[in-house]
Amino acid sequence: MDPQGRVEDFGLAAMARRRAALARERAERAEAAAERHELLAAQPGREFHAQVAQTHRRTAECHRASARLQDSFALRATAWAGGQGARPRFMAVVAEACGTGGAAMALLDSGQNQLAVAVSDERSAAAQELEYVLGEGPGQDAATGRRPVHVTGPDIGTRWPEYGPALAALGIAAVAAVPLRTRDSCVGSLTVFDPRTTGYDRLTEVAAALTGIVLLDPEADPDLYGGTDVRAVVHQAAGALSVRIGCSVDDALALIKARAFAEEVSLDTVARQIVDGDRKLT
Amino acid sequence: MTPEQRLADAFVALAGSTADGPLDVPETLTVLAHRAPVLLGTRAAAVQFAPAGHDTALVVGSDPQVFHLEHEAAGRREGPGHECRRTGAGVPWAQAALDSGPVRQRWPHYAPKALRLGYTQVVALPLREHTGTSGALVLLSGAERAFSPATLGLGRSLADFTAVILERAREADRSRTLTAQLEQALTGRVVIEQAKGILATRRAVTPDGAFDLLRKYARAHQRSVRDVARDVVEGRSDLDRTDPAR
Repeated sequence: MDPQGRVEDFGLAAMARRRAALARERAERAEAAAERHELLAAQPGREFHAQVAQTHRRTAECHRASARLQDSFALRATAWAGGQGARPRFMAVVAEACGTGGAAMALLDSGQNQLAVAVSDERSAAAQELEYVLGEGPGQDAATGRRPVHVTGPDIGTRWPEYGPALAALGIAAVAAVPLRTRDSCVGSLTVFDPRTTGYDRLTEVAAALTGIVLLDPEADPDLYGGTDVRAVVHQAAGALSVRIGCSVDDALALIKARAFAEEVSLDTVARQIVDGDRKLT
Repeated sequence: MTPEQRLADAFVALAGSTADGPLDVPETLTVLAHRAPVLLGTRAAAVQFAPAGHDTALVVGSDPQVFHLEHEAAGRREGPGHECRRTGAGVPWAQAALDSGPVRQRWPHYAPKALRLGYTQVVALPLREHTGTSGALVLLSGAERAFSPATLGLGRSLADFTAVILERAREADRSRTLTAQLEQALTGRVVIEQAKGILATRRAVTPDGAFDLLRKYARAHQRSVRDVARDVVEGRSDLDRTDPAR
């Protein structure tokens, strides 16, 4: 394997441990604030402090969840640096915390377009790509509606006529998704495949922690330790194709998606062929 | 309106429920300064606000004369508002009779000016956020007696509630800024990849070669790679072939 990568990964584990410690410090500060407001709430006429205390308690729980994710990632990074298994993916830790084997995060722009994705494993990558290619699916619905989505079995095909059958072909029988929310907007979605538990509590808690980790924390890392993908080759291919056939970049991207879906190959495969000049796609 | 109604009304105004959306920071401070005298039966009120990292305090007053008094005091770093803001709750000077000797000594500019304006009593109540004191609510009266415990209790509630609202307003501001920055950063990365594909095809170079062209052009024209890439994608630029920097 790549010795350089191993060395870098020792740094990765240390970084995750440091972030876990910072998250725990934030949790402690929020707990202290909650206690202060709980004391104030006991005085007559100051009942609103009880609500404020509750907000701080929720914030503290979110930071605790964040610390647990970072700790789990640090363990995996340490094992990998010691020569065990594949390079760890942060989303694998997220999937585990949600009680499932597969999870995908999508970061969206204000027009709900996918800007970047991160996945726990190859099957989740394929499932997430279906949503990108077909323009329908649970992550998109969760982000647009700003509420959780959970669909199982034949209902998946009813709700999303194209996405449903394609997802079933990957051997996935249930999906759940929650928005990644900030105070007044939504920056993306977290989707899990074949969740073993029902109910959104755990998923919502992990999504809140993930929103902190990629956006809101002082040491936020939208790259998720190098796991976030902007689909570079696909966008290069869209640029290249737009020149070759004289259309907009957006139309070229739509063509690439359509071709990948029709041929049942990955976007990367089609994109690579275009960039390498092996395919005209006209 | 009964006193209870006035109080409820003030809390609703502070929470921003009457407007279309939450109030921003200056609006919240203005509501607090204007409602406080009516609710608490004081002659005037002012707010000094300077959260961590802000050196200059934002000052709002219930009327122009109290605004000038507190604005000047904040500038001189003198007076009850400044001290309360800097030291948080429980300062000995939190409540003071302005004509007492020690007070005149402590605030040589503030005390005489406040007395000239007809104020005799002053108290400063901290705006406490969970990271520390971010400001102070200053109440002034022309009465001979000190503020009643009921007035101070209600004033503290009002200040505490406002501090929570302010903290939320600033958190929302911060998350909006971060969201916009993330979107801009990711969109920029996408646009650069698109421009690499366009240039690679036009010039028959590799994507890495195309990035090199973008980078050199950007440097020669003192622009960001992202802006140059956007021009390429939107058809505004073909990176002038005669450019010597190429």
